[in-house]
Amino acid sequence: MAPRSHASSPAQDDSSALNERERAAHLLARLAYGPRPGETKRLIAMGVEKWLEDQLQEQDSHDPRLKTWLSEYQTLGLSVKECAEFTYTQRVDKKTPSQEEQRAERIKRRIPLDEVVWSTALRAVYSDRQATEVMAEFWRNHLNVSFTKGQNIYSMVPDYERSVIRDQVWGSFPAMLVASATHPAMLTYLDNHLSRRPPSKQELKEIERQTERKTGSKERAVEAVQIATQRGLNENYARELLELHTLGVDNFYAQNDVIALAEILTGWTIEGGRKGSQAFHFNAAMHVPGDIKLLGKRFAEDKEKGPGQGMEVLAMLGAHKGTADFIAMKMVRFLVADVPPASLVKEVAKTYRTSKGNLTAMLRTIVDSEEFWSRKNFRTKFKTPYEFIISALRVTGAEIDRQASIGNYLAEMGQPIYHCDDPTGYYDTADAWLDPGVMALRWQFATDLALGKVRGVKIPETFFDQIPYDAPPRLWEHHLTTLILPGGAGPRTRAALATVTSEYLDQKGKRVPNLNQIGPTLVGLLLGSPEFQQQ
Amino acid sequence: MSPTNPTSRRDFLKLAAISGVALHSSSFAAQLLAAQPVGPGYLTQEGANQSLVVIFLRGGADFMNIVVPYGDPDYPAFRPTLAMNLDAGLIKLDKTFGLHPAMASLQPLWGAGQLAPIVCAGSMHSTRSHFDAQDWMEFAAPGDRTVRQGWLNRYLAITEPPKAKASDFRALGMQELLPRSLRGNYPVLAVPRSLTKKKSSSTLDAFERFYGEGGTDMEGGAAMSGEREADAAGVVESGRITIETLRRLQEIVAASDKKSASQSVSGSSYPDSTFANRLKQIALVLKAGEGLEVSGLDYGGWDDHSQEGTVDGKMATRLRDLSSSLSAFCQDLGPALARTTILVMTEFGRTVKENGNNGTDHGHGSTMLVMGGGVKGGQVHGDWRGLKQDALYQGRDLAVTTDFRDVYNAVLENALGFEPPKDFFPGYKPNKMKTLF
Repeated sequence: MAPRSHASSPAQDDSSALNERERAAHLLARLAYGPRPGETKRLIAMGVEKWLEDQLQEQDSHDPRLKTWLSEYQTLGLSVKECAEFTYTQRVDKKTPSQEEQRAERIKRRIPLDEVVWSTALRAVYSDRQATEVMAEFWRNHLNVSFTKGQNIYSMVPDYERSVIRDQVWGSFPAMLVASATHPAMLTYLDNHLSRRPPSKQELKEIERQTERKTGSKERAVEAVQIATQRGLNENYARELLELHTLGVDNFYAQNDVIALAEILTGWTIEGGRKGSQAFHFNAAMHVPGDIKLLGKRFAEDKEKGPGQGMEVLAMLGAHKGTADFIAMKMVRFLVADVPPASLVKEVAKTYRTSKGNLTAMLRTIVDSEEFWSRKNFRTKFKTPYEFIISALRVTGAEIDRQASIGNYLAEMGQPIYHCDDPTGYYDTADAWLDPGVMALRWQFATDLALGKVRGVKIPETFFDQIPYDAPPRLWEHHLTTLILPGGAGPRTRAALATVTSEYLDQKGKRVPNLNQIGPTLVGLLLGSPEFQQQ
Repeated sequence: MSPTNPTSRRDFLKLAAISGVALHSSSFAAQLLAAQPVGPGYLTQEGANQSLVVIFLRGGADFMNIVVPYGDPDYPAFRPTLAMNLDAGLIKLDKTFGLHPAMASLQPLWGAGQLAPIVCAGSMHSTRSHFDAQDWMEFAAPGDRTVRQGWLNRYLAITEPPKAKASDFRALGMQELLPRSLRGNYPVLAVPRSLTKKKSSSTLDAFERFYGEGGTDMEGGAAMSGEREADAAGVVESGRITIETLRRLQEIVAASDKKSASQSVSGSSYPDSTFANRLKQIALVLKAGEGLEVSGLDYGGWDDHSQEGTVDGKMATRLRDLSSSLSAFCQDLGPALARTTILVMTEFGRTVKENGNNGTDHGHGSTMLVMGGGVKGGQVHGDWRGLKQDALYQGRDLAVTTDFRDVYNAVLENALGFEPPKDFFPGYKPNKMKTLF
């Protein structure tokens, strides 16, 4: 049995290398949502390199339970059109539906939302391809779309999550960028599907004529023209495409570039209507014609009357030095440190440029770097609420059922899945999350989880079987610390746990202590400890 | 050390100044603190017992359709589908401006001279990025990415020793995460929705051993890595402050609940919304008289790029909730309203001309609203230069004729009795608004 002092690593200065156990803990903290029971040991046994290889080779989890659960979802594999049809309720007659019918329609419409949110959490907790889940979360935020946009986006998100995020995680950024730019969810979320050139005089006349013919009213015709006159450019997507998706704010571009890009992207819309494909569609009639100058370069009109001009712009942005720098900075900040080491950012940007934005290659550069493994960056990054909750569920081997209420906790902590209103996505640095007060919510969750008070979530009794049956009660807290904080605990945390244990044992007097009584209390405290808040 | 020991927070600030270790990366207030002699010179007696509530509308609210220039001859042409006039129900403020009809619940405040719109207010910086614009307004340092401490936090840090009693509960963010204006070295509580009641205090007790004062040196040696790492990132400090301040808040809420239960109902009725509930909680703390000076609350969702609506519609729905909540809040405060100032703001205005989708895109100048006892309301403030092409910023947006820091300055001085020292707003030349208060 390990002596007590092994619960923490000995005092180290920043220059000393991480030991084997710390390396395993670090890798699982950064490229996974922490270990599930037994995983730290398994990683040490198989070695860092083999673990990484497995992670980067394929994205699908082998976990049989997860496979079964995912297969039970109805909308995850559907295209946007299929999903829209799935959630659509055909009304048999025209009379107003009863309240009950309306309720049923609402529930049906919400199915994709619930399934996307749920499957995201389930995968993060159970998947044995954790690096995919971690990077998927990174891209979900980088190319944020949100259910808060409204009901018409619900049926688009399952396909977005699958084809833009998951399928591209180990592909290339330029390809992912095109996938997002041509996806109905992004076009809707940032309003580009509505953006068009203002109508010509001739078109307005035509509208007037047709409206008058249809309605027989001159007034209605004038009204229709007034409304039509208003149709035009929407800058929303063009701005965020430059600011948040590629170059970074006010980097290389100015307001006139935003307008130019908005013009180039007019006509990038969705083939809508009941009969439409619900897929990306270039509508030449909505497009501002002609060559357009952007970032000092002329982009020629597509002679085929297709989206060629915009595609060229996306290719230019995907190959831009500014994009390489920006994506590299964000990846390093996400995986290494809130203040990303400049040397590593430079290396990763170089990989971006030489590999044409290959995301696997960029990740490799990070994981192979000195900076990644430096003690300076060991357990120094504050977990986001999502990372905190998912890692707590994993480390305790918690079983969660579909009705689990972890969504409520995430919402109260300010990070509900796929509900970030702002196109920035959720931030990943401590200054966005570490306000006084937030710790109280984490302690509440830690305590609730450990004591079995989170609805639909249960830590299995076998969790405590990991502690040797003959371990003396005074060492229970030591064993639990090793399980929950594989990187070790500081002296205050250890002393605090020892006090709790002592109080329990004193109170027991001569009666036999019971791990099932004190164990959950200790687990709750460990999950709420300062050390567990860090990755 | 007891949680309310006066030296504890101050020591923390000093420590932050010396070591650069702080909850958040910057220590701008700490630098100011070190550079400026802190004394009662900045403070006036009138500032005692006064309070400021800052409401931030996130997304860039289209204030041109909130305080509407219906009397400007060019307005209707810019807003073919979005324009509103008196016939549509605008509440007439003067011959140029009318208030959105969904804000009718604020009419009594206007009538009582307690509502003051400042038109064409905003930041001189040209950014149209939500995120830069918000940061720079809330850190009150346009264009300067090195300042990472909110303007209200700087106020709190600088005035700590002369102004506050040790027991004062000076500031809070009434939401799960702080607005940036309250972020910084001075410990301000982000109030968790479910944890204001005393019954959740056992959680705080349980974690005090892990986060409370003292105990870092239990084994006589240097703190070992795990804890040192968490410490460096401010987790332990944040936890300690959470315990101290949340306990104090729970006491205040419990006492105030008791008090208001024994008093007759004040007659104010809040709408049933998240925003209203949060305002109600602020009122509870304010009425407790425990020294609350600054509170912050966000209202999200104002980025109306499409289908903005007019008298009804998306923005009107939000405005109705916003104003009926604020109206109930003011009634709820009763006599305390005389000592309370409310500032409503957003990061930028929107394009003067509506866009192609019955919405508006990111613009420049906007309007700020100041409400409360001390303000000279019942009149529209600010310099309106009309909507002729050459009056517009970059030919498309409202110009900014009042720097938002002029308003901050006036509010700090009149609502909190604090005259900002030089460089409180980096690079800003103070310009006094003589008529606002």
